[in-house]
Amino acid sequence: MVKRIKDNLRIIGMSFEIELRQNLMDGFVLFGIVIQPLIVAFMALWMLKDKGPDFAIFIVVGSAMTGLWTTLLFNGGNSIRGERWAGTLEPLVGAPGSLRIVVFGKVLANVTQSLLSMIGCYTLISLIMGYPLTLSRPILFFISILLTVFSFVSFGVIIASLFILIPDFQRLQNTLEFPVYILCGFLFPIALLPGWTTPISIILSPYWAARALHGSAQGTLEINQIFISWGLLIIFSAIYIVGSGALYRLVLKRARVDATLNTTG
Amino acid sequence: MKKQSVTNIRIFFEGAILSYRALFRWLRPATYIASKILAPLTMMIFFVFIGTYASGSNDASFYVIGNALIFAASSGIFGVTMSIGGERWSGTLPYLFGSPANRLAIFTGRASMHILDGMLGVFIGLGWGVLLFGLDLSQTHLIPLLLTILVTTYSTSGLGLLMGCVGLITRNVMLVNNTVYFLMLLFSGANIRLESLPKWMQVVSKYIPLTRGIASTRLIIAGAGINEIFPLLMEEFLIGFVFTLLGFFLFSTFEKRAKKLGTLEIF
Repeated sequence: MVKRIKDNLRIIGMSFEIELRQNLMDGFVLFGIVIQPLIVAFMALWMLKDKGPDFAIFIVVGSAMTGLWTTLLFNGGNSIRGERWAGTLEPLVGAPGSLRIVVFGKVLANVTQSLLSMIGCYTLISLIMGYPLTLSRPILFFISILLTVFSFVSFGVIIASLFILIPDFQRLQNTLEFPVYILCGFLFPIALLPGWTTPISIILSPYWAARALHGSAQGTLEINQIFISWGLLIIFSAIYIVGSGALYRLVLKRARVDATLNTTG
Repeated sequence: MKKQSVTNIRIFFEGAILSYRALFRWLRPATYIASKILAPLTMMIFFVFIGTYASGSNDASFYVIGNALIFAASSGIFGVTMSIGGERWSGTLPYLFGSPANRLAIFTGRASMHILDGMLGVFIGLGWGVLLFGLDLSQTHLIPLLLTILVTTYSTSGLGLLMGCVGLITRNVMLVNNTVYFLMLLFSGANIRLESLPKWMQVVSKYIPLTRGIASTRLIIAGAGINEIFPLLMEEFLIGFVFTLLGFFLFSTFEKRAKKLGTLEIF
């Protein structure tokens, strides 16, 4: 058991490192992590500036989350497809290590590097534009960041398998970017949306991540409300991880039974 | 002379249709619908909600119109860029540059289908605005609106032609495309009133496509006639023309240098 855990941690570390190295060569990653969040932050700041200077931290957090999601969707989501295109999926599936663990490491790398978008937005709004930025509950905020990384990685692992299992889902990739910004309340409260969308928001772990981050950064949530957000974030992330186990078994079964491992969808 | 002209016109239309089909024919309709209809719609919803949240008003027309016109930029920038830059990725560039075909017909033909496609996109965007956000078109004059949308999609396609040439000399065409597209969102006045932007940004906004197209569309939907928007349209057209010329110059320069240095397929 201990050996298995050690092996899995080593696999996660290796795929994390390789993914980071590969991303250094990918210009689109730069767009997702730096350029888009900064442009969104600037626009949001200009659009929401009448809400007062306290609102700047809301924009930093919300814009950075757009960067997290964009990178997760386009890079993390294509984790398995990328291997397929590179012709490395067969050896990966044939190896004794779990494909899901490899994808976990890759998505973890994508999400971790996306945290740079938060530093970028902070720098733009605080240092360059001169808005005062203070965290109301810094410790809770940093714990929220750790849990956010966990929740996004869980979400990414399940999306990567869905992109393989349902090719039409992958084809809708461009369409999935903004709905999550909208439904998870990254830059405006979901209370503005029609009531029927609320159940969808609730089952998305990024919504609870955004709620915890905004609440702890701005101090708009009581401590117990932040704890509730953490709890639900963990529950939904755990559901994604358990669900992804079944999905990855299906991916491998289809690949072996249907012999479609190298067939691009 | 006459035969040459007929050949050039044929090349223009063949290139237009084939490059457009090449861009989408290998995809299912789901991809087209996702990229050209649903993705811009979700972006519109996002910015409309931020805008109405910011203003505390239910009047979303400012943001709806701005983002509907962004549909033109989506076709103009992504479609046209990939039609030009895609020649290199698909390995057809040597054949293209080896052919005796008129370069201007090849080059400008790549944009024509995307102009029509972009116009359709803007109408879809305005339709979404009417359906979802109650955009009021009762004061709108149809002909000036059509003309504005045509000129705006042309001018954004001019920028797309230029970016397509950039795509011939860079590996990171999607980085360039997406950056330009998002900068257009920022500088064109689609979501932010231009007068509220810093001075230097207002200056930049005067020299890019889309800015005047959006301004003109807002005026038309508020009831303005052709005479009031004509100067804006002329300037928008001129900007598109300048970008097309710049793109063609870059295209010609690239061809000459690539042939001379043997760098046709070197990134």
